[in-house]
Parts: sequence; C-alpha cells; structure tokens
Amino acid sequence: MNSELETPEFLERLQNGDRQAFSLLVETYHRRLVSTARGLLRSGDAEDAVQNAWIKAHKALPDFEGRSRLQTWLTRIVINEAKMRLRGGGREVTLDVDDEGRDALADRFKDGGGWAQPPGHWGVSSPDDLLTSDELADCMRKTLNDLPEKQRLVLELRDMQGEELDDICNSLEVSASNVRVLLHRARTRLFALVDHFQETGEC
Amino acid sequence: MLKCNEVVERADELVDGTPLSFRQRWALRLHLMMCHHCRRYVRQLRLLVQSLRRNPEPASEEEVDQVMRQIEQSEST
Repeated sequence: MNSELETPEFLERLQNGDRQAFSLLVETYHRRLVSTARGLLRSGDAEDAVQNAWIKAHKALPDFEGRSRLQTWLTRIVINEAKMRLRGGGREVTLDVDDEGRDALADRFKDGGGWAQPPGHWGVSSPDDLLTSDELADCMRKTLNDLPEKQRLVLELRDMQGEELDDICNSLEVSASNVRVLLHRARTRLFALVDHFQETGEC
Repeated sequence: MLKCNEVVERADELVDGTPLSFRQRWALRLHLMMCHHCRRYVRQLRLLVQSLRRNPEPASEEEVDQVMRQIEQSEST
C-alpha cells in the first residue's frame, strides 16, 4: 500500500480537485480494482466497470468522509458497479456460501478428527521460497483461476490485497461467518495443491 | 480437547490474527504443543498466505490517461 495516499493531506488535495493527485490515485489502485472486478465479471466487462467506477468515485469524492481507507472505499464502488452490471445482465448476485468447492482437506481426517493424511514437510522457510518453482507458480495461477468466483474474490481481497475482514464483509454485504468459510475453502484448496506438488512434483 | 480437524478450521483465525477468547487460544495452544502435524499445518499455511500477498502494480500511463480522459468527458456532458 502506498501510505502517502491514505493521509488527510492527500485526501484534501483530492477533494480540492487536484488532478495530479487523482492521477496518482488511479495509477496506484487501477490494477487492483480491475483484479477485484474480474472476480465477478468477464475481462472486458471488468475493465468497463472499473472505468465507470472511477467516474463515480470522482463525482462522489467531495462527499467522502474519510471514515475508511480510500482503497476500501474504491473497492466498494467497484463491487457495487459490478453487481449492478450482473443484475442488468439478468444474473442474480448472491455471495452466500453454497456447496461449491467444499473444504479440500476434509477427506484427510479420520472419523475421530485426527489426521489420516497429515501435511508433508515442504522444506521452505520463507514465503519467497515457496514460489521459486515456475511450475508451482503456474499451477497456483491455474488453480486460482479455477476457484469458484466467490472464493477467489474473497482470497483476492484478503490475501492478495490485504483488505481487513470487516471491510470485506461490508463491501460484499456478506456476513463475517460466510467470508470466513469462503476464505477457508480457498486457502485449503491451495494448501492441498501445494502439499500435493511438494510431494509429487506434479500439479 | 480440540481435534485436528477443528484446529484446521480455526487455523485461518490464527493466521489472520483474529482476536480469540482466552479459552479458545488456550485450547489451540495446548493442541499445537502436542501435535506436530497441526503445528506444521499452521506454519505452512502462514507461509502460503504470506506468499500470496502482492504488491500493487502501478497502472501504465495509457491506462491512467484513459481513465482521466473519460472523467473529463463525463464532466463536460
């Protein structure tokens, strides 16, 4: 995160209509917002939605009270825009938890709840070590793309962009317990993948 | 006494630093002290989650220009 952008001074510049400040805001957050929109929309639509969201954000800036971070506020505008588009296309948007992609580790426990197939030893000591293998990185990308969209969206916001769980619940209008379940499922899926890769060298 | 599958359910909260009650924290700690499989799970999950964190990539000049142009257009209509 660019912390200069989250200061009251920067907000004041934005609200005074400083174009250079707004350009910096766009430069910093545009790609993230596109990634977020892609969690709900097809690629071209996602970019259109973000473009529109910028116009709305620009208009709404004078009313922004600075109660959340700018990043969080922008994310909420993008998600609302994406939902509106889905509704316009006749798609109902629910971000509730369903049976899609259940806990990927569930079958690795015995009936009593102990491990039947415990995790292997990955032999890595830092997050950077984990993705040194191109093959694993590819495999992760593919798995991320295949995740059910709600799980991917929550993982994107929380683990990739570092949004707070409370803010995610508010932006998505989903209960905290649902967000936790979605996040848990997405993470266990990736965990199972890395575990399998470390053991077999295959995706 | 917590079971391993329950520890895995709660591991996300540990990794996220979600505040837990004294009782929950104690139960988790006790289990992790005795179970090296779950210790390994939590340690590796934490590494995995940290590895996902992406530094924001700045938008290209063209992307910024396009956004700014559209904003100008929307202002003039």
